[in-house]
Amino acid sequence: MDMLQTSIDGLMIGSTYALLGLSFALVFGIMRRINLAFGACLLFGASLAIYLEPILGWGAWGLFFVTIVGVALASAYVERLCFAPHSKRHGAVTAMIASFAVWMQLDEISSQLLPQRTHAFQGIEVPNLWWGEVFVRGDQLLHFVIALVSILVLYLLLYKTRLGLLIRATADSPETAHLLGARVPWLGFIIFLLAGILGGLAAFMILSADGYVTPLFGLWSTFKGLIAMIIGGVGSLTGAVIGGLILGLVETHAGAVLGAEFRDMVTFGLVFLVLIIRPGGLMGVKIYRTDSLAQERV
Amino acid sequence: MLSVNNLVTSYGLIKALKGVSLEAKKGAVTCILGPNGAGKTTLMFTLAGILAPDTGTVSLLDQNLTGLGAPKILRKGLALVPENRLVFPDLSVYENLLAGAFTQSRAMAAQVSDDIDKMYDRFPILKARHDQPAGNLSGGEQQMLALARALMSRPSILLMDEPSVGLSPLIVDEIFAIIKQLNEDGMSILLVEQNATKALQVADYFYLLDQGKVTFSGTPDQLKDDDIIKRAYLGGG
Repeated sequence: MDMLQTSIDGLMIGSTYALLGLSFALVFGIMRRINLAFGACLLFGASLAIYLEPILGWGAWGLFFVTIVGVALASAYVERLCFAPHSKRHGAVTAMIASFAVWMQLDEISSQLLPQRTHAFQGIEVPNLWWGEVFVRGDQLLHFVIALVSILVLYLLLYKTRLGLLIRATADSPETAHLLGARVPWLGFIIFLLAGILGGLAAFMILSADGYVTPLFGLWSTFKGLIAMIIGGVGSLTGAVIGGLILGLVETHAGAVLGAEFRDMVTFGLVFLVLIIRPGGLMGVKIYRTDSLAQERV
Repeated sequence: MLSVNNLVTSYGLIKALKGVSLEAKKGAVTCILGPNGAGKTTLMFTLAGILAPDTGTVSLLDQNLTGLGAPKILRKGLALVPENRLVFPDLSVYENLLAGAFTQSRAMAAQVSDDIDKMYDRFPILKARHDQPAGNLSGGEQQMLALARALMSRPSILLMDEPSVGLSPLIVDEIFAIIKQLNEDGMSILLVEQNATKALQVADYFYLLDQGKVTFSGTPDQLKDDDIIKRAYLGGG
């Protein structure tokens, strides 16, 4: 019974990690870029939401809305400032270092918005559920459903629409896409905006489940997103979702069996193992092998 | 139909094309022969708008194409099948074909799916593999896919850059049979080849490109009579 309970908790948390991983995989899989300022964007969105909360007075839904918009705006800002000017093949490292600088900037803005260390972060009120012996927190169940729906929407957007085909074609071979008149002019902007929206959703879910936000949240979410992507498969969207769920399951089980202090140790041990046994991640091996461009560009 | 006048294209200080003029007639297969480094691919890229020429003009059916970008040139009816195929490896065969029709407007959706059916009729192997990633196809199949994808834009002239490169002799025969068939169905084709023997089976007119200049032009019979070409391209004396 405990195993079942822990697994359900793990899946609930894992679904938010999946969204974090998906944001990273979207940027890496399509743009072949790593955005180090990702966590800082999330922190900025959350800080803006808390800062505006007393002014707007919209409660939990206000936090939800402002967090997502704030993260998306910050993400688009990072793209314009760091990634758009370095979109050529050799710009990968320059863009990553530029994003490091903006990470510092966004962190600083966030701490100006929220001068104290810890701020309460209100969640959406949903009644909790009991299925026999199994307990499910209402808000986490809601988050799980939101995560599933947003993953589904992203899938439909990428695989069932004309824009999605354009995005994937450009990701696959930018030169050929240009030749066919199929290049998306604002591709980077669209991808960073999408990654921002997913990241904002994840930020709201994690913070409202925890009930508070600290300045450490940014770095923490960059780690979780990167780890989910690395476990699942570098650049693979499906892989990022699976990686996030695995990360959630491993963390909660490690916490339940070995104790909370071993949680991160087990997680990093898992990343270590994955990097040794399957350096491309669970789903990413094939992509890495066939995509010589990825190695060239990164 | 396609007329190229005194085209000069350079990479930095190096002139790859030094004033190329040629003409591709409607309904004909025009072939450009030439050794490695002659500027054949540079010429194709300039015609398709991937490279911009320094001077000279390109016109297709009395529309000036000079200096337009690749997407605009494609819309005006000139489609390039690039060397080494360049299919989208992670997209399925079907999606590759759809990508070829990006220049068609949304309103043409019915026509596009009609065109895809026609491509499947012409290339049955693509139908059999429609949901597989293009990267899993063999070289010959990828060449057919690249060709079909170029046709999806409904071009009035098709440029093919060395369709036989890296393919086995049997597959080369198949590709040339398709080129012949396309031409018989009315398609105008400008073909770049190193395989002169094969090109002689399909082409109506030849240009020889060497070090960025046209050094010979003539009909297949004239080509066969030219001693130098005979020795360099057709083997033996």
